[in-house]
This record gives sequence, C-alpha cells and structure tokens, in this order.
Amino acid sequence: MRAVVSLFIVVSIAIVMVFLLIPRDRIFENDQSISKLSGKKDLLAAYKLGKLKDLGYLDYKAQKEICEINQASKDCFSAGSSEINELIKIYEKDGYTINKTEDGFYYVVKDYKTSRLILNFYSNLIKIDHTGVIKDPNNLELERKVYFAKDHNGMLSIKCSGCENQYLLYFNGSFPFIHQNFIKLNFGISYPTYIGLNTFSVISNKQGELKNKEITFETGTTAKSAINLHSCTYKMTEAIDDLDKAKFVNNYAKCTSNYTDPSMIEVSYIMGILSLVFSYLISIPLGVVMAKERGKLIDKIGIIYVNLMIAVPSLAFIFFVRNIGSLFKLPDKFSQLGFTDVRSYIMPVIILTLLSTSSLIIWVRRYMVDQTNSDYVKFAKAKGLSEKEIFNTHILKNAIIPIVNGIPSSIILSIGGAVITETIFAIPGMGKMLPDSIKAVNNNMVITLTFIFTALSVFSLVLGDVLMALIDPRIKLDNKGGSR
Amino acid sequence: MENKFKFVELQESNSEHIAAPAYSYWGSVFRRFFSSKIAIFMMVLASAVVIMSIVQPTLSGYRNDYMPNVNNFSLHFLRPSAEYWFGTDNFGRNLFDAVWSGTQTSLKISFISTIITIVIGIIVGAFWGYSQKLDVILLEVYNIVANVPFTLIVMVLMYILGSGQPQLIFALSCTSWLSVAYFIRVQVMIIRDREYNLASRCLGTPTYKVILNNILPYLISVIVTLVSRYIPMFISFEVFLSFIGVGLTNKTASLGSIIQQYAQYMESAGYLFWIPVTISAIISISLYIVGQTLADASDPRTHMI
Repeated sequence: MRAVVSLFIVVSIAIVMVFLLIPRDRIFENDQSISKLSGKKDLLAAYKLGKLKDLGYLDYKAQKEICEINQASKDCFSAGSSEINELIKIYEKDGYTINKTEDGFYYVVKDYKTSRLILNFYSNLIKIDHTGVIKDPNNLELERKVYFAKDHNGMLSIKCSGCENQYLLYFNGSFPFIHQNFIKLNFGISYPTYIGLNTFSVISNKQGELKNKEITFETGTTAKSAINLHSCTYKMTEAIDDLDKAKFVNNYAKCTSNYTDPSMIEVSYIMGILSLVFSYLISIPLGVVMAKERGKLIDKIGIIYVNLMIAVPSLAFIFFVRNIGSLFKLPDKFSQLGFTDVRSYIMPVIILTLLSTSSLIIWVRRYMVDQTNSDYVKFAKAKGLSEKEIFNTHILKNAIIPIVNGIPSSIILSIGGAVITETIFAIPGMGKMLPDSIKAVNNNMVITLTFIFTALSVFSLVLGDVLMALIDPRIKLDNKGGSR
Repeated sequence: MENKFKFVELQESNSEHIAAPAYSYWGSVFRRFFSSKIAIFMMVLASAVVIMSIVQPTLSGYRNDYMPNVNNFSLHFLRPSAEYWFGTDNFGRNLFDAVWSGTQTSLKISFISTIITIVIGIIVGAFWGYSQKLDVILLEVYNIVANVPFTLIVMVLMYILGSGQPQLIFALSCTSWLSVAYFIRVQVMIIRDREYNLASRCLGTPTYKVILNNILPYLISVIVTLVSRYIPMFISFEVFLSFIGVGLTNKTASLGSIIQQYAQYMESAGYLFWIPVTISAIISISLYIVGQTLADASDPRTHMI
C-alpha cells in the first residue's frame, strides 16, 4: 500500500510540474506542421489548441462542436447568429474564455486546474476492455459476448465480440507467451515524436522491419503479409473497405504488423536482467573472498577497484570500457550489428554489470566481515569447527539475507545505469527514450517513463521485502515492525 | 650496597597527574593523514587542479563563443604540441584553455551542490535524530524520495527547469540532502544514547557541549566521507547530463559540455575527446581519495595506537 502511495505522489508531482512549468510554446518547437501553417493565424491557433486538448492541457471547443453537442439548429453554425450567442453565454459562465476567429466564428478554451490534470491522468490510466466498449451506429446488431475459441494457430484463446480487442487472452511463441488485452495502461498520446501513437505503445510495440510470412485469413484467402492477427481491434463499419472484406469476416480489421525486432521494454528488460544476474555472480564470490582474505592483497585490489568505480565519472568509465571492447572488434554502437547479433549486447551488458558491482561487493564484504565477528561464529570456533565449515554452513546461510535485500537497490541503480549506457550505445530501449523525449519535449513520454521507472523501483522494494520474509523466517511482514 | 636505594620526597601534585600521552584531535588527524603517501600525492594533484582551474581561466579569458582563429584553418585540429599542450579544436580554440575553464565550471557546480546538500543534510539530520515528531514526517518523505532513481529525479527536474548552472545546482541538491539527513539521523541516534553521553548528561553537561565534544568528532569522519562521495558523484552527473544535452548548454564550457561537443571527433581527433574525459576522471579520483583518507584520519577511533 505504501508503495502505491509513494508511486502516486511521485507521478502526481511530475505531472503537475511538467504540465505547469514547461512553456507550451516549447512543445511545438519540433513540429513541422507548424511551419506549414505559419501565416494562417486561425488555422494555427486551432491546430495548437487541438493538440493541447489531445495532450490533456485544456478543454477546447470550436463553434461547430458547441452546436453539435447542444443539438442546435442549422442557424447555430453561421457566424454571429443569436443561437450561438446564447450558447456562448453558458460556456462563459462555466469559466471558459471566449475567442473569435477572423471570420467571426467562436471558439472557447478552458485550462484544466491542477487537481483536474492529476484526476484526468489517473482516470484514463487503466482501460478495461469489455463487451460494451464499441459503439458503432452502423452496426447496431453487433453481437456482444466473450467466448473461448481456437485462434489461427490452433491454440485456445478467449475472444470477444463487442470489445475493442478481438483477442482478450491468447498464447503464442513470443515473450511473455501469455498475452492479455483485458487491462491496458493508457498514458496519453505521444507528441511531437511518434505522432499518432500512445506513449505506452511506443515503448511496448515491436521495432524494426516488417516480418512477412504466409498467412491464412478468416475468409480463407492466403497472402504474404506482416499482419499480426492477434492484435486486431474493432474498425468502424464506415471505414471498412473491400480489402478488409476480403480478409476478415467481421469488423475486427484494424491490426498491427509483426516486426522483426523486440520492443524497447524488451530490450531494456533483457539487458537489465542479464546484467543483474552477472553482477551478482561476480560480486558475491568476490565479496566473500575479500572478507575471508581481509587485509591481504586480493582485498586491497578489490577495495581499489570499488573506490575507482565510485570516483570515476560513469561517462568516462563507459567510454573507456567501450574502447577496450572495440579492440576486440565489438561494436561501439548498437545499430552496427543490430538486434539479431549477440555481439551487440556484450559490451552494454558488461558495462551495466560493472556499474552495479561496486556497491554490491562492498556490501557483501561488509556483511561477511560483520558476521565473522559475531557471537555464533566465535562459538562455532570454540566448538572446534574448521574455518571452511564455519564459512560454508554458518555464515553463507546468513549472508543470503543481504544478497536478497540488495536486489531492489540494485534494480534502482541499474535503471540509472541503463539510461547512461543505452544513450551512449544508442540502444533503442526505454533508458535512451528518456533523454530522447526530454530533448524532443515529449511531455507525455517523460511522464510515462517516470511512472514506469518509479513503479519498477517501488515494486522491486516490495519484492525485496516479500523475498526476505520467505527466506528468513525471523522476519514477518506485518504492520508492526519495519518502515519501508 | 646500601646506597643503591635512596628516599624520594613525596610530590603530591605529581601523584594526582594521570600518566597519558598528550592528545590533540586535529594534530592526530593531520599526522594520520600525512602518513599516507598516496594521499599526499593525490592532495598535491587535487590542489594543483583546483588552483589551475581558478587561475588559468582568468589568465586565458576563455569564452566558448570567442573564436579568434575561426578563419585561420592552419590552426584547426592541431595535435597536442609544445605550443598547444592539449591541441586545438574545429574552431581553432585552444583545448588547454577550454578544459580548465570547463573544469572551473564543473568544480563550481559540484562544490556548491555538495555544500548545499551537506549543510542542509546535517542541520535537518541533527534535528531529525532528536525530534520524534519530525521523524514521523521526514521518514515518510524519505521513503518516497529514496524509492525513485536519482538519475530520473535529476533528469526530470532539469527537463522542467531548463538547462543552466543554477538549475543544475538546484536539481542536484534538491533531493540529495534527504539521504544525507537520513544518514546523519541514524548516526546521531546511535551516538546520542551511548553510555558516555548518558553519563555526561547525568553529570550535568549542557547539550551543546555533548554535541560539540562527544557527537561531533564522530560525525566529522562521516561528514568527510559523505563529502568525498558527493563531489565525484556530482561531477559525474554534471558530465553525464551535459553530455546528453539536459545539463549545461554548449554556451557554457564545462567538462560535460566539452565532452559532448567533441564526442563527434572521437575517431578523427581523439585527443579532443579523451583529454577532457581523462581530466574529469583524474579530478574525481584525486578528490575522492583525499576525502577518503581525510575521513579515515578524522575518525577518532583510528587515533588509538
């Protein structure tokens, strides 16, 4: 519960600061459509206001929209009619600012308050797909049901009619193997980079080239296509064309394509997990050996290494290690060999691993040293057990506790490391997306990444607590003790 | 045989005196510090760098937008030589001047941020360690902030505030004082209830004397350790943030912006890139090792022989 509260607070602060403190003009600096509209004052204002409305800054209604909402007569649509004047007065009372174009048409604008900004974000955050989602005026007899069916691969799946997605649950061979569409996260649209996509789809969609293969559609036609049949969503009847009719038997015809390369989340995830595992594999034995040989050569070398890692600027370190990698013909940019080549991953993973080892080593060493001074070790010694027996059966059992306890902070650390490493290697992952979207003034993307990174760290802490309780029977997860 | 022993007159004042070696805290600190040869070498290096970064830019008057040799192509991309120690760049500017001017900015940012972080951290931490009410509130705040990656906080803050020196200092010290305060709180809590402090209190020693004489000597080493960790960390952050373009802009010369500016010449004119990178590493390492040795030396426990 605490974790959720702290996530909520951090993200809310980020939303408020991003929306209120970043000048709105900066958002449009990188948009090419703006230069096309320069000179046309009204069109430009309408374009900008429309975008700001999409981004969730304000509420904006043109005269046409006002009339349509209030179901006014045709008279309303003309400039300066009495009907629109009356409608405008209602909006003025609501706190809208009334503006007029050069042609005399009205448009009303209202900025959202801080509380509304936060509320909007969280109310749109979780989208649950159910049978009542689709409202198509041209397809009123649309069946509304959820049912089990076999998909085109012959696997069992949960399908839906009337939902946004055709498949609510399906299995396939790609990570994470079980896919669901019941609940989707929605962080708003991405702008000005990746226009037309949700920020979450930007980082979760596959990247790279289209992957064509032979596909048999529901109507029986076969074609070489990249369409991902699992991804199909509802397409309004008025938008359905003959091509769609040839392929699909129902309205679920809006599909995304299969791509060759993994998504940003997957790339970051693969590297993060690999480097986490490796850093543990390196740090634990090293820390144990350093504690055993305290004050001897290996301990001194280890301490020098740790101190160097703390002192050297991470940028300098990464460039240095990357240069060593180039000596072994390893690529210094991810794009040189691409996703499919294992060599692209070697240097980033090594660097990420090394970046997180220093704190782990010093932690394991300190813990082992503390243990060797504790009473139960002295007692074991007095009993006449050998050093080896004491180390392997007594101390190591206890040492697993700091190892587990260190996982959350390692994850938090590796997020920071991933941002630096991915930027330098130009890896198309979430870490690089953060500086990229900052440079492009992509507000929603920054908020999305803040949410994801904070959620990751917060839940890794919870995970650490749970693991601790599982491993160490002395620790109980109740409200009395502990303050995390 | 008899006169091997003789009577000594009883000296009452001497018998009252307890035989103990003379102890001076700061004397021991410096003796301990200067016993390490590496530390002396690093201190010379660090002070040379600091003095250089203060003096050299005022002599050279380097400005990033001042390029007198921009049209003199014979002075572009000169390799390091006796005349141009670090070589020249694509606009014919002397890299030696640029690096020291950049070092000044980077050191300034990291020193100011460290001072702000540490001072606020110590003051808040001391109160935090003593006050129960404050503990409840600040612990919650700390738990929230500590859960978020620092890189993320700094980057989002820089994004919101825009690039610039004051903004960068603010972003770096905005949340980092909390972890210092938390650290000091724990230390204060450990030390304040030790037996000798309880004994002092029982004997009627005023609180400020307890803090000054009993707690502070222990905290000095902790504080110096913190300082020696934060300075390299902030230099590292400045370099990284400027490198990805959210820290300082190209207009201000800092180690980060210099590295960012010359990263494109990594292959063609490597010295432009590697010299500032190496300098940033040398500065951090020397300052860190001096700080660590000083921290060890200022720990009263190491003064026992």
